[in-house]
Amino acid sequence: MARVPVAIDMVEIETNTTVLPDEFIAHRLGMIPLVSTNCDEAMRYTRDCTCEVRCTYCAIELMLNVSCHDGGHTMDITSDMLEVVPTSRPGFGGFDVDADGSEELAKRVESFGHPIGQGDPSTPPILICKIRKGQELRIRCIAKKGIAKEHSKWSPCAAVGFEYDPHNKLRHTSYWFEYDARSEWPLSENAKDEEPARDDLPFDYNAKPEKFYMDVETDGSLGAQEVVMKGLAELQTKLANLVLGLKGDPPETDGFQNGAAALGGPANGAEPAAAAWGAPGGGGGWSPARGGAGAGGGATSTWGAGAGGGSTSTWGASPSRGAGGGATGTWGNSPAAASGGWGAPAGGSGSGGGTAGGWGSPAAGAGWGSPSQTQNGWNV
Amino acid sequence: MNAPNRYELYVLEEGERPVEVTEDTKIPNAATVKIVKQDHTLANLLRSQLLSMPQVTFAGYKVPHPLHPYFLLKIQTDGSVTPTQVLETACTKLIGTIATLEAKFKREFTYNADGAVQEDAYGVPVTGDGLEGRSYIDF
Repeated sequence: MARVPVAIDMVEIETNTTVLPDEFIAHRLGMIPLVSTNCDEAMRYTRDCTCEVRCTYCAIELMLNVSCHDGGHTMDITSDMLEVVPTSRPGFGGFDVDADGSEELAKRVESFGHPIGQGDPSTPPILICKIRKGQELRIRCIAKKGIAKEHSKWSPCAAVGFEYDPHNKLRHTSYWFEYDARSEWPLSENAKDEEPARDDLPFDYNAKPEKFYMDVETDGSLGAQEVVMKGLAELQTKLANLVLGLKGDPPETDGFQNGAAALGGPANGAEPAAAAWGAPGGGGGWSPARGGAGAGGGATSTWGAGAGGGSTSTWGASPSRGAGGGATGTWGNSPAAASGGWGAPAGGSGSGGGTAGGWGSPAAGAGWGSPSQTQNGWNV
Repeated sequence: MNAPNRYELYVLEEGERPVEVTEDTKIPNAATVKIVKQDHTLANLLRSQLLSMPQVTFAGYKVPHPLHPYFLLKIQTDGSVTPTQVLETACTKLIGTIATLEAKFKREFTYNADGAVQEDAYGVPVTGDGLEGRSYIDF
């Protein structure tokens, strides 16, 4: 769902004397795919940005200024005529441009935000509108980052296909036929990868599908490989946030900041929230210092999405707990124990996690106190 | 207009908890988990993972209203673990599965960049020059 490309989100129309109404053109502009490579790191959501309205880090400005003076022919306005306003222009958006965003700009590729295929003669441009002599279109567009749940223009996928069992060996479907299903139904490309069903073997009704075929086609704003990788990373982020939530330590991310966004927010080690967790006997309370922002523990646990390699990504199971509470029965869990994290593909589940275990049985003395190694879901 | 912001469908509000566990009062070893700002993507994934685990006797989910961005996941276990624990295990296992898939995908893509296996004499994949020029460079 959330693979975050960039698309035109707002259009200011200065002059529109074409035959198409403003909103018609604005909608067509929104559909134009823009180069969005690596945009989950190279760009911010406007709602997360520190600027007041928009800035270079969360918006891209494109200009279109076309008029027709040729009486003989209609003229095509295409996506090639959209010009990206350089981000270095001072005062873009008119509001504070903080210095810490420069790394985001550095992660952008050169053509970031340009309509795809711009300047590439082999890619035909996208037609926006046709004008005749005397007509003019002058507009300013703001492209932003978004996700496809909000609007499908932010979906990089043009087509996604899914199939399993191309020979229908498992008989999960039944083909309609006149005389013979095999001769009347064409086989898909994927059928080449599998053996057809053999007539001399009995039907294996216990068989389960094992090979799944996915086709991914994008509109060009992102590569198909990037889309798949981001999609998998996104699923991991969702699951990791859910685990964090289950541990009673609400993550402060919105769950959609992908990748290496630190799972953590403002340190609130001594908030009244601790009272809710106070063990009846202990009285001290267990205050979760929500990682990241330098609570006493000083441990910043990041969960890097894309844990495939397993080398860099650690998902600290508990971001520095008990920092400000002074609780007696704190969970002795140092994020350092969490190396390995989710990464180990062989084990199925990672090796780290220390004692971040779930809900310790309340009978164990001081409320939630001291779960053992075996209580968690990690060391299975 | 009084339409709510569309990002409210997937962004947690200030101070909102992503998960809420309600123990079932009538059925033993059962709990209903309310997960907010998530949809069928996560719900169905979790449900199928839970059903594949032997400790789980029941797992099902529903999205009570399509305009309300949350779902309810009902879990009953056989008593050897609590529903919360089993849900956590399910998440961990899923993350492991996805990591495996990701690693495999990555590996396959280095071989099959142009639909053909490109290897040098030692079986080491040669990085092609065509595909990964622009879009994939960040991997």
